[in-house]
Amino acid sequence: MANHEPTQKATIRVQRFNPDVDPKPYLATFEIDITGDTTILDALELIKGTLDGSLTFRRSCRHAICGSCAMNVNGRNMLVCNRRVNALLDRQGRVTIRPLPYLPIIKDLVVDRSSFWEQYLRVKPWLIPPATNGGPMTGEYHVLPEEVEALKMAETCIMCGACYSACQVVAMNKQYIGPHALLKAFLRVLDPRDAAPAERLANVGGEDGVFRCHTIFNCIDACPKGLDPTFAIETLRKLAQKRQAFEADRLERQKSL
Amino acid sequence: MYKTTGFISFLFRRVSGVALVLYLFMHIWVIGAANGGAEAFNARMAVLQAPLFRILEVALLTAVIYHGFDGIRLLIVHWFRVTEYRQSLFYAMFVLFVLVSIVGGVPLLLFALEGN
Repeated sequence: MANHEPTQKATIRVQRFNPDVDPKPYLATFEIDITGDTTILDALELIKGTLDGSLTFRRSCRHAICGSCAMNVNGRNMLVCNRRVNALLDRQGRVTIRPLPYLPIIKDLVVDRSSFWEQYLRVKPWLIPPATNGGPMTGEYHVLPEEVEALKMAETCIMCGACYSACQVVAMNKQYIGPHALLKAFLRVLDPRDAAPAERLANVGGEDGVFRCHTIFNCIDACPKGLDPTFAIETLRKLAQKRQAFEADRLERQKSL
Repeated sequence: MYKTTGFISFLFRRVSGVALVLYLFMHIWVIGAANGGAEAFNARMAVLQAPLFRILEVALLTAVIYHGFDGIRLLIVHWFRVTEYRQSLFYAMFVLFVLVSIVGGVPLLLFALEGN
């Protein structure tokens, strides 16, 4: 797309690390021309295409929906594809790009997200439908608009890892389930179609679950989608203490599904 | 380090919490002297009349006030789930902490400096 705005200089500092060669990560500095529309991801692509082809980073959709390009820019986790460089320049006219913090670095800006996905699987992120005694489901679910509304806050998560990597508790304890998975647990627990809320609440109410959260709010501040994992965690804390009654209500509710 | 107001409050909460636990050991050490009679207790209390401990008393007060107010802030978050007011709650708590610390700390400090 043609852009006729005047260009300006920007200094992009990128944390580099090649585990085969470098003893520890270091900052590399690149000078590039940007326009008002240049995103951080555009800047990285420009560096990779014209200055240093060995720069390594993840990206895919460029529409802030795939969750691949979450990085730490000027100390804050964000998706780099929907943030403009000129809005993030510091006083010295620089932008500093680092990989997501607290996760093992594979190379440059690419981190190992294994623990992120392992914790995600712990909460069984899929829907567990009511038992049909082995037969196929008949009919369809009827979910009330207000029940859908209650889940709005959680269902647009794109699994980018920004919240997980910003979480101070995750930094100190990799056994902690993490805000991303607890948000998903919240989504399933409050879904009227789900048949196992008590089991889920027992799981997230356990040793590595919601009571590990120190209510630091970094997950909310980091989320590029404006979601609220802390609210989900607080809700799960309340429900975990009355999970049997909650499941009884759920079974009653499902008779009218 | 992911520096936000949430992180700062968490750091202070941890530091003040650990400091209070350490204080508790000292407290028990002093109070425990009462088992040895009035004289032993008075002798141990005399150790604490040094200026250093008077200043530390002010530090103890600020740690208690911070930890207490931050706890109340978190209880508000837990009960009412008001995560959207996280910044305002922190600042309100911090202002209260500073005010109460001044009200309580200045007389303590004057008392420590006057030395009686």
